Amino acid sequence: MSWRLILAASLSITGLDAGYGAVRILHDVTLSVAEGETVALLGTNGNGKSTLMKSVMGMVRPSAGSIVATIDGVRHELIGMSTEAIVDLGIGFVPEGRRLFPRLTVTENLLMGAFRKKARPDIQKNIAFCFEVFPRLAERRKQLAGSMSGGEQQMLALARALMSAPRLLLIDEPSVGLAPLLVARTIDKIKELKDSFQLAVLMAEQNFTQAIRIADRGYVIVHGHIEFEGGSAAELNDNDLIRQFYLGA
Amino acid sequence: MDLSLDLLGNALVSGLLLGGFYAAVTIGVSISFGMLDIVNIAHPAFIILGSYTAYIANSVFGFDPILASIVLLPAFYLLGVAMYHVYDVSFERRGDASIRGLAFFFGILFITEVTLVLVFGVDYRLVDAPYVGPSLHFGVIDLPLRLLVPFLVSMALIGSLQLFMSYTFIGRAIQAVAQDPMALRLMAANPSRIKRIAFGLSIASASIAGAILIIIQPVEPSIARDYIGRIFAICVMGGLGSFSGTVVAAMILGVMESLTSTFYGPSWSPAVAFGFLLITLAVRPSGLFGRS
Repeated sequence: MSWRLILAASLSITGLDAGYGAVRILHDVTLSVAEGETVALLGTNGNGKSTLMKSVMGMVRPSAGSIVATIDGVRHELIGMSTEAIVDLGIGFVPEGRRLFPRLTVTENLLMGAFRKKARPDIQKNIAFCFEVFPRLAERRKQLAGSMSGGEQQMLALARALMSAPRLLLIDEPSVGLAPLLVARTIDKIKELKDSFQLAVLMAEQNFTQAIRIADRGYVIVHGHIEFEGGSAAELNDNDLIRQFYLGA
Repeated sequence: MDLSLDLLGNALVSGLLLGGFYAAVTIGVSISFGMLDIVNIAHPAFIILGSYTAYIANSVFGFDPILASIVLLPAFYLLGVAMYHVYDVSFERRGDASIRGLAFFFGILFITEVTLVLVFGVDYRLVDAPYVGPSLHFGVIDLPLRLLVPFLVSMALIGSLQLFMSYTFIGRAIQAVAQDPMALRLMAANPSRIKRIAFGLSIASASIAGAILIIIQPVEPSIARDYIGRIFAICVMGGLGSFSGTVVAAMILGVMESLTSTFYGPSWSPAVAFGFLLITLAVRPSGLFGRS
């Protein structure tokens, strides 16, 4: 089973407290993403999904707990590392609001994604792959990123994160600001990319029905606490707590 | 009639050559102001410093001024890196870069100028090189080598910077860094390091720009200030961060100045040049080649 070695990337968050200044957002959050898994982090706005993602990426300094990424059998404690060092380990992030470089072209944005030294040898292969998965991007390769539609920008943000050849991919709210049809398409693409790149994925999403289509497992986060952990998509679907807390039904 | 056609032809040619030189003095600001959003108003002072280092290399050691400026590139690069480091620690990381940063660079401008005055005095200095005197002649058109050589050096400088910006990872990161520093971190790049390299390149360009300035005209410390307006005007008119825009804007300005001073007198040329800048910005707010 040599391929297991290739996709050995996992994430383990234990007892995490984090916030901004005096405001504590996350309380004792424990969560894990195993090798090759897609895990959904579900919750409505303002419950701490983005703060959790940003803590993993070193953009928010947690006050307690640990965040350990294991990549190729090497354990890395991420708390205290800079964002760029975390990305350099092979942890990609598609932030909320996409954060593209608006005045660079599509191709230039993709090449920026491959800044990571380990990603550089495979640039041609990865660009060809991105253009194959997102033909729209190939058509618009010379267009400035800032002049594209929201859906196209989301595709570019995903493709740019993949250009860094990540092992673990964090995606914050891929559906936000997209038309319903595009949401379904984006979620499908994430699944497709995850399978081709053999990634482990942690995806924060408010769109419950779309997210659990591709998730292996999920967590529901309410007011900074993990309120429910579903071992399978079906378990999440059948849970009363989710209806009550999350779907408001 | 013939006479004025000759004049026109010569004015056009020398305007283009002058524009090439303006492009070289502006390119550093196109990097620092255009790409990094750092209002380095002291840039002309580093150009004058470049003139004086070329002058010393030439008058004391007998080196060719352009060759000397190329040899001195690493020293100017390190000077830029050091200066950015101070700026970064003192202003940018504290988030009050705009006004205080401007004051910082104003200070650097005057300190550099005063230091040059104390060391060299206020006399005009010149360099000597085989291409300072002679001219090429094509029919009625004169091509003074004193302008042609700087023009070619300038184009080589800008061409190599453009290649670097377009085809290297660091170069593309320099173009991206002001647009979204946090996103740059997500590409595994450290924005401070990228800006440091960019600022180093910006100041390094002043070494070459300074050498060609002292080939074109005699230099004394305070002429740095004469160039501030022109440099920022060209940078804005070309479109922030666009090298091709900088070259085109510099040529337009050079030709306008040359035509105006040939036909109406030199005192009108700044007015015409800045008038053109205003019209350009009214029609195209992001400059000639600006990406918006």
